[in-house]
Amino acid sequence: MQRFTYTQARSAEAVPGTGARIIAGGTTLYDLMKLDIETPAALLDVTTIPGLDGIAFAGDELVFGALARMSDAAEHPEVLRRCPVLAESLAKAASQQLRNMATLGGNLLQRTRCPYFRNGAHYPCNKRAPGSGCAALEGLDRGHALLGGSEACIAVYPGDWAVALVAMDATLDLLGPRGARSLKVAALHRLPGDAPQQETVLEPGEMILRIRVPVGPIGRASTYHKIRDRESYAFALVSAAVALDMEQGVVREARIALGGVATRPWRVPEAEAVLAGRRLDRALALEAGRAAFAAARPGRHNGFKVVLGTEAVADAVMIAAERSQRP
Amino acid sequence: MDDDPAGVPPAISPCLTRREAGLGAALVAGLAPAAAQAAQATPGATLRLVLRVNGKAVDTMVDPRTSLLDLLREQLHLTGAKKGCDHGQCGACTVHLDGRRVASCLTLAAKAQDRRVLTIEGLAPPGGALHPMQQAFIDHDALQCGYCTPGQVMAAVSCVREGHVTDAAQIREYMSGNICRCGAYTGIVAAIQDAATRMREG
Amino acid sequence: MSENTFPDRARVDARDKVRGATRYAADTPLPRLAHAMTVPSPIVRGRLTAIETGAARDMPGVLAVLTWRDFAGVASAGYLLGGGRAFQSHQPMLSDRLVHRGEPVALVVAETLETATAAAALVRATCEAEPFAAALGETGEEVTPPQQSYNVGDAEAAWTAAATRVDAAYSHPAQFQNPMELIATVAEWRDGVLSIHEGSQNAGAVKFGLAAALGLDPAQVRVDSAHLGGAFGQKNSMQLQTVLVARAAMLLGRPVKLVMPRAQLFHTASFRPASRHRVRLGADAQGRMVAAVYEADMQNSRADTLRPTFSEITSRLYDIPNYRSAERLVRTDVQSPGYMRAPFEHPAAFAFESAVDELAHATGQDPLAFRLAHEATRDPVTGRPFSSRLLADCLRQGADRFGWARRTPQPGSMRDENGMLVGWGVASGAYKAAMSPAIARLRVRANGTTRLSVSGHEMGQGMRNAILATLMAHLSIDPARVDIRVGDTEAVPQHLTAGSWGTASAIPVVRQAALEVRQRLAELRGSRQMRGDLHQMLARLRRPHIEVEVRGHAPGQPDAVFGRLQNGLPAAGGPEYPDFVSFSFAAHFVEVRVEPTTRRIRVPRVVSTIDCGRVVSPRTADSQVRGAVVWGIGAALREAAEIDPRFGGVLNNDLAEYVVPVNADIGSIDVGFIDRPDLLLNQAGVKGLGEVAMVGVAAAIGNAIFHATGRRLRELPMRMEHMV
Ligand SMILES: Cc1cc2nc3c(=O)[nH]c(=O)nc-3n(C[C@H](O)[C@H](O)[C@H](O)COP(=O)(O)OP(=O)(O)OC[C@H]3O[C@@H](n4cnc5c(N)ncnc54)[C@H](O)[C@@H]3O)c2cc1C
Ligand code: SF4
Ligand code: FES
Ligand code: FES
Repeated sequence: MQRFTYTQARSAEAVPGTGARIIAGGTTLYDLMKLDIETPAALLDVTTIPGLDGIAFAGDELVFGALARMSDAAEHPEVLRRCPVLAESLAKAASQQLRNMATLGGNLLQRTRCPYFRNGAHYPCNKRAPGSGCAALEGLDRGHALLGGSEACIAVYPGDWAVALVAMDATLDLLGPRGARSLKVAALHRLPGDAPQQETVLEPGEMILRIRVPVGPIGRASTYHKIRDRESYAFALVSAAVALDMEQGVVREARIALGGVATRPWRVPEAEAVLAGRRLDRALALEAGRAAFAAARPGRHNGFKVVLGTEAVADAVMIAAERSQRP
Repeated sequence: MDDDPAGVPPAISPCLTRREAGLGAALVAGLAPAAAQAAQATPGATLRLVLRVNGKAVDTMVDPRTSLLDLLREQLHLTGAKKGCDHGQCGACTVHLDGRRVASCLTLAAKAQDRRVLTIEGLAPPGGALHPMQQAFIDHDALQCGYCTPGQVMAAVSCVREGHVTDAAQIREYMSGNICRCGAYTGIVAAIQDAATRMREG
Repeated sequence: MSENTFPDRARVDARDKVRGATRYAADTPLPRLAHAMTVPSPIVRGRLTAIETGAARDMPGVLAVLTWRDFAGVASAGYLLGGGRAFQSHQPMLSDRLVHRGEPVALVVAETLETATAAAALVRATCEAEPFAAALGETGEEVTPPQQSYNVGDAEAAWTAAATRVDAAYSHPAQFQNPMELIATVAEWRDGVLSIHEGSQNAGAVKFGLAAALGLDPAQVRVDSAHLGGAFGQKNSMQLQTVLVARAAMLLGRPVKLVMPRAQLFHTASFRPASRHRVRLGADAQGRMVAAVYEADMQNSRADTLRPTFSEITSRLYDIPNYRSAERLVRTDVQSPGYMRAPFEHPAAFAFESAVDELAHATGQDPLAFRLAHEATRDPVTGRPFSSRLLADCLRQGADRFGWARRTPQPGSMRDENGMLVGWGVASGAYKAAMSPAIARLRVRANGTTRLSVSGHEMGQGMRNAILATLMAHLSIDPARVDIRVGDTEAVPQHLTAGSWGTASAIPVVRQAALEVRQRLAELRGSRQMRGDLHQMLARLRRPHIEVEVRGHAPGQPDAVFGRLQNGLPAAGGPEYPDFVSFSFAAHFVEVRVEPTTRRIRVPRVVSTIDCGRVVSPRTADSQVRGAVVWGIGAALREAAEIDPRFGGVLNNDLAEYVVPVNADIGSIDVGFIDRPDLLLNQAGVKGLGEVAMVGVAAAIGNAIFHATGRRLRELPMRMEHMV
């Protein structure tokens, strides 16, 4: 790790102008600095800014301060009650130690776990060294994307929280050098295309202040279903965020997003459409699962995720449906 | 016992000292000429850091790159917290920061400014009785080599305080951030169940 | 004081461990300590043509950047299994030759760890790369001719003629020990003495290896390895970093510490090599096993030869009249593989005990009854008796505890209340009961203290407990004031502690030492009646202390083995002794639950019953078995090195991607011991435990998965992709 300066910020307004790199919990950034993948010359710690770590209901929105810790949101009683998919996506991520450190804003901007990316200069990687190639394309791609990949990069977006947020149509409040703006979480991450090093549409210095999640009839009947290589403390092999609005066993509206299999949080309207207006049983849930993976393009070692993911989506739909029967 | 100290400067002022060029220029057979002369201030320690560790005020200079773990181990000689991965992947470095368990290897030391750190060394008073969790780890042989143990104990104390001890499954889940390669997991769960009762009583 | 039942006693070093007070190598406090960092080789195989160190040297705080040119006159300590003392014969940084991914090409030493790490990142190596074979099954691998290891009867003919036949291929990936303690060396050179603090299972090899490598008199090298943060075979000899750090400390005149990063350890220390196995079993028309042919290939490095002994246990698990086995080495471009908990026995038992299950199924027999029906009474290989063999007891007792009688035979026939598929599987395990030469020196003092120094290392297995239990069984001394010195080359000569022979080697000499102290006291006391403990009696006798020294070795070994012990060379004997053969035995019963939709596999329950001779330290023995079962679960369901053949090296070289079990992976583990002493093997009646308890777990899991689903998985780890 090369040297850098470290400053603590006192107000959000001061952030965009400094030219320094934002550090929140540091569980992504400091980790990647230790690997010499991130090399910022200046760090601005935003966790010292007061007032951005709250979690509250405002109207029909759940509003999360970007500096709230993952663990706080994961256990917030209102979040658990009104929108379990959000709480579960956080509770099933990382470990309690990391959730105590990591922030909800920083979480969205975590970077891929592609081992070629993380493992240093021995491996061609367009994300780390643009133009060097992609070792994963012809390599060990068990953990790589079946959806959204390009000729330049097939790295999976590894996070869970963003997948749940995308399913819930969440919005970000941003503050940047050119002022404040709002952005759908679904629009935050870019497809790799031919510039996989550019992962989001944020401008340099632009800070996430809040995450707003509309919670109406849809939310209570939701779940985050995560399949991993071990029972805990692992990234998703495949995950499904599912929220349903149901009436008498018939699906009024469904929201489905996938994690662990795509280059960014991956909403699947095709699968949602399968469920909408129909009476739910497992066969239908499985049909939705198949629709979710219809466009999947398996690589050399990740083909099993089509079947696994299909079943995981179906299971998630059934778990969410069960919750709609709760008072 | 480990309250926030008063009268601490509010912010860390960044400063980047460029050290004189040429200091390490002339090298013979790989050796810096006067290796011994560099014994004064630790090079690169440019940040003043004030915090409380195990109830005691600490006022020191650190390299901005230093992790809380390396600060504790290498500078403060509190070697109870262990390095098992240095990347947040094992839990051996678990300490409490302002009362919450964190991975000290992924925590910039600079972030501990004005904050309270509790390590395994401060969990029980020196020479006195053990913390109920420590005693329970002994009673249930919740350890073998002991390398992961300080991190396990610190995580376990938090696990109880957080209320994540309703049943064995919940304990397992909330203790999964602490890898024990010796495989003492069943003992760890039993110890936590036992200590949870004693901590409530105590 | 009795040897018949040893009381449950808390782990002696647990109090320090729960307080974080135990000092592992990297915790050694030394003034003026400098920090080192290695620069890993960017290629697999070839030659270092240039190395650019200027930027690193110019960094303030850097004390030295050492490359191979700084190691003139240093020699390789040689391969442990080839008469040397290092984990491989290739010692990096002695020349420009590079033979495996990640080997150090430079060592940076600086005032701080941060500086050393940053400077190491600035060192640029230019290399001339050569073609390589990075893994088993790759072009460029070099396969040696098969070497027949066991041959009883005519196995090929019997197999061909068998009424029911199984012919199955199994594979095992490369796996990494990953003890939680990172390999660390702290070296200090002062007044002509080199002091090394390093967690090692073999302080003796480190001492003599360093002396040989650096051209020092062994008397000048002292190695302290009092506490290891786990080892599992990884730390069984001199590591490749030790001599680099030692040399740096000598050049700088300052103590130097290197903690090898986890990512580098996948390339700089040994590992369990990948292997492939073909097992052919045949049964006659009555369903009796009559033939077994077991062939295996195992990965090796180019230079060193690790002999696979897969068949050492599988040839003895059953009474099979015709048995043949052969192994081939497959040479690839890796660091030298070595020993990882149950190094050959675990893969062998996975293959063989899966095949036995397949044959039981093919002949329509219950897998437990099938195993019991083939119990061997004499060693099928040598015809000698077993010193003790209570495998059938393990199987029967385990079956009772597990509730095996409630199993319905048909695969897929059992479900739990949540609709999960339930599978019950069983497998047996065995592991050689070996012994090494050992020396114990015991001094009991009138002032209430006792010191016991012995050849042995404490890696967490509980050796100190077993030692204390043995002392307390024979001596009335103050248990709180016993200083147990292990892993210290200055106390007594140190032999490699591995292969589950640690307890079986140390305990007999400790026991003998205790008996001799008693004897000496009796002589001093004569006919006088005395009360009080041993310390008080000594005080009354006006004797400051009694000291005895005892040496021991495996049955039938010549006294010459002490010469090897005193020179840091391996000298273990067994399992074939002049009059008998000795093995520990295990029976594992596993319940798996398989989610019918996603096919997720869980292991909620394991029952393991062990015949390890006398259980000297019940509490730590119990923990050993639990840990070994966790290892079995990890090996069966989780762990595999991922190697991209184009690049070599291990891609998943961290603890997030190399998936070891976490707490949530582990359910209930019920441990039983037969606890009958093996007095033929040694006077203490102790056989080994730490490894046998893992042998067979993976097969039992695979057999349970078959029972749950009807699907037979022959490749480890058994993961989701094999199930869908
Ligand atoms: C071992 C391990 C396991 C993990 N497992 C999981 C898992 O299973 N699932 C999962 O989802 N995640 C997992 N994570 C990732 C973890 O959740 C993220 O690292 C964490 O959420 C990032 O938050 P942070 O506050 O620490 O971000 P930081 O590391 O501080 O910042 C990350 C990035 O976001 C930027 N940033 C931070 N805050 C803001 C802001 N408010 N506005 C604009 N930019 C900002 C930073 O500049 C940086 O680029 C794991 C991490 C580790 C180390
Ligand atoms: S998948 Fe993307 S991150 Fe991974 S090697 Fe290819 S370019 Fe790099
Ligand atoms: S050392 Fe911090 S989590 Fe492993
Ligand atoms: S006790 Fe050894 S790693 Fe946990």
